[in-house]
Amino acid sequence: MATRPVDLLLGRLMRKAVAAPPVAAEGSRALALFKAWLPALVILLLLLVLPSFVPSYIQSLVTKMMIFALFGVSMNILWGYGGIPTFGHAAFFGFGGYVCGILIIHGGIANFWVNLVLVMVITALLGAGLGIPAFRVYGVGASDNPIYFLLVTLAFGELLVRVAISARSLTGGSTGLSGIPYPDLGIGVSINSYSYYFLVLGIVAVCLLVIYRIVNSHYGYALRGIHDNERRMQALGFNTWLYKYTSYIIAGMFGGVAGCLFAYFGGTMVPNNMGMAMTDIVFLIVILGSASVYFGPVIGAVIVVGVDYLASMYMPERWPLIMAAIIVVVIMFIPQGVGVLLLDLWRKVFHGSAA
Amino acid sequence: MAALLEVSGLSVHFGGLAAVKDVTFSIEPGERLVMIGPNGAGKTTLFNLLTGQLKPSGGKVLFKGQDITHKPVYARTQLGMARSFQITSLFPNETVLTNALIALQGTRGGRYRMFGVFTRDKVLRSAAQELLESIDLWDKRSETVSSLAYGETRKLEMGLSLASSPDLLMLDEPSCGLTPTESKDITERINTLGKKITVLMISHDMDLAFGVAERIILLHFGEISCEGTCDEIRANQTVKDIYMGSHKASTAGG
Amino acid sequence: MSTFTITALNGVSYAFILFLLAAGFSLTFGVMGVLNLAHGALYVLGAYFGLAVIAQLDQFWLGVVIAALGTGLLGLGIYYLFLRHLYDKVPEQAVLTIGLGYAIANIILWVWGPFAKMGMTPSAFTGVVRVGTLAFPIYRLVIIVIGLLVLALLWWMQDKTRVGAIIRAGMDNKEMTRSLGINYGVVSTLVFLFGAALAGFAGILGTPILGAYPSMGDALVLLTLMVVVVGGTGFIQGTMLGALIIGLLDTFGKAYVPSVALFTSYVIFIVVLLVRPSGLIGRKVF
Ligand SMILES: Nc1ncnc2c1ncn2[C@@H]1O[C@H](COP(=O)(O)OP(=O)(O)O)[C@@H](O)[C@H]1O
Ligand SMILES: [Mg+2]
Repeated sequence: MATRPVDLLLGRLMRKAVAAPPVAAEGSRALALFKAWLPALVILLLLLVLPSFVPSYIQSLVTKMMIFALFGVSMNILWGYGGIPTFGHAAFFGFGGYVCGILIIHGGIANFWVNLVLVMVITALLGAGLGIPAFRVYGVGASDNPIYFLLVTLAFGELLVRVAISARSLTGGSTGLSGIPYPDLGIGVSINSYSYYFLVLGIVAVCLLVIYRIVNSHYGYALRGIHDNERRMQALGFNTWLYKYTSYIIAGMFGGVAGCLFAYFGGTMVPNNMGMAMTDIVFLIVILGSASVYFGPVIGAVIVVGVDYLASMYMPERWPLIMAAIIVVVIMFIPQGVGVLLLDLWRKVFHGSAA
Repeated sequence: MAALLEVSGLSVHFGGLAAVKDVTFSIEPGERLVMIGPNGAGKTTLFNLLTGQLKPSGGKVLFKGQDITHKPVYARTQLGMARSFQITSLFPNETVLTNALIALQGTRGGRYRMFGVFTRDKVLRSAAQELLESIDLWDKRSETVSSLAYGETRKLEMGLSLASSPDLLMLDEPSCGLTPTESKDITERINTLGKKITVLMISHDMDLAFGVAERIILLHFGEISCEGTCDEIRANQTVKDIYMGSHKASTAGG
Repeated sequence: MSTFTITALNGVSYAFILFLLAAGFSLTFGVMGVLNLAHGALYVLGAYFGLAVIAQLDQFWLGVVIAALGTGLLGLGIYYLFLRHLYDKVPEQAVLTIGLGYAIANIILWVWGPFAKMGMTPSAFTGVVRVGTLAFPIYRLVIIVIGLLVLALLWWMQDKTRVGAIIRAGMDNKEMTRSLGINYGVVSTLVFLFGAALAGFAGILGTPILGAYPSMGDALVLLTLMVVVVGGTGFIQGTMLGALIIGLLDTFGKAYVPSVALFTSYVIFIVVLLVRPSGLIGRKVF
């Protein structure tokens, strides 16, 4: 290999022995890993035993929370990591749900796994198709006003809503597609709301782990770099368009998985699941939970779905007012989100310092 | 020997203002070429044209014999160009180490790897250590960039542009806003780079310019007004008239 | 031929309702750069509130003025309390105003119930104009005239008044405007009040033709976005052009090719965003 410029820059002036970078001893690293993952493990264990202790309506509420957690985390790949303000993420959620339902009802595909893979492929294709025009109007990241990208993605979602309304024979029109049964896993076990809880838990846990790996990988750090300073990333040799485009597809695909789980969960899919209202909810989930914390949208989903549930019990008619109130409080008073606050608290309690 | 960079008839205008007009020059491998000119002369704009941030309205850029006039920014970096920015352009929310890691990753394989923990990539980390030690920032590796002193951010700015092991290093006012001592430091660093790296530098700071340059180009109102060795430029009446005056004024001003 | 003429007249009057709907948004979005996606809901509120006032007072024009003032004040509140603090945070502006839009729709539902309303045409403007065998409602002509008056007013404000100059300067260079000793804050607050009032004004005037229902704001804000973006941001002429394009396209589409009419506006919208995001005759504001 040719001499590298840094060696030349070092020159004879200050050549030092280049020591290997400090890597923690194996034992303590394993311990650190364990400590870092402890909360996730505890939560996973709690979720595994939860259905044995709570009534079925709580179990179903938690199922919904997990689905929306995946929905939020998938969107945060774009917004929190890439800094890309998509306003059409619900389009992927609803589209995934519709594809799932249509495949079952009109396509006769009963097997859950086949269905899931098809949903992922088809939503990824949707992302690939919409991403090309969408990123034509999106200039160089945060230095440009993202308004046109926001409007284009919003328009895509609303366009899909109109398509779903008018393609009545396939989608059931404005009343929606109903009669989606619980999934058939192809292993002879029939699924009910109790076992569906565990299926959702498993799928969401795997997806969250995969997304976690992605955002901490080489690819994920390139995405963070684009968020921070896209111009510099280009100057450093990164094809930033390709990163943004692929992240749009990846986020859409996981959003589609969430939609698919949601379709099985409720048994129905309505056009508005793809529209502005749903996009607003997922954005709220992300901002409320903290876009800058990986698990933030999970917290956001728990709060928003929880409040939605309470509202549906005590004042179902006033949900939009409650949601608007939460939005105002979050955006005006805790724009960094509660995830950041919780993380600081966690560090204070367990590490003695806030970082 | 073939020129490393050949620029011919390069122009761009913003509305009615011709910011760069019919600029033609070339750089030989290993050369140190410094571009001077009063504020607003179009130097940064010319850099933006050369690196692809801006599309020219006319003219041609050849790099290593290839026509790169319409190539995107990242592709030029892959070919061996690198630049620093006059206005410091880093990743403010990341640590110094992560800045270096990201910069080093730009021209290496595995940029699209989705599995594997980036901050624990051993190859990248040892390269980052070398890079940061070479700019005296290894001790600051765990600090967030937004908490660095200004002089340190300028060093990192230059460090990031070196990360891709470029053949042509383009520095836009590397000493911008630095104290004379810090600026001298920069001169020294550039002079230890070795002839494998060709340097094209913009400088407002005449000491830095004369300390580095083998050849100097004066840009004025977007045009090359004159060109020569340091001595020729020192003696040139045009330079004295249009540049030295404003240089003195601007140093006095800030 | 005669149905064509009627369709064209319907299209033009619909275009003027769209213009009235979008004019206020065009001011706050295209000129000030503030994204208020509750604009559609403000239109609907104007309609319901105006109808209630007219029913109480039995005075059409007084009702119109009060409806406009009411929505204007609400818009002023939204700007002063929230949007003013979210400068440069466009996604947050969008999230917040979408949420507020649904809240306003919910309040309308709460107060006036879920039923669609049809506004009454003021008695002076009932009836039709006849030309040969064609009959055309007078009220639609009135809408066209009012639309033209509003266009003239806004055009004059934009090009000839100090306020227009301040807003334009403010868009281009906030610092400069401030250094000239102009209170951009006060001017922008007043512009926002005016923009929201126009939404309510459009709402009550449009109801006799379009009707109103609580959740109508969603569809309206999308129409508004289309009109403003297609025509061009930053100039009121652009909004008029956009309204004519979308209005005529929609009316003719529904009359002649109903199966695709649902999508034509979206397709135009997306194509314009891709090819010429600043709109057909707009200038680059963002
Ligand atoms: N993106 C742009 N749009 C409009 N004018 C620009 C733009 N970039 C630079 N300019 C103008 O071009 C001229 C040259 O600027 P610049 O290249 O930054 O000068 P220098 O680096 O020599 O000080 C200046 O008058 C500047 O205002
Ligand atoms: Mg410059």
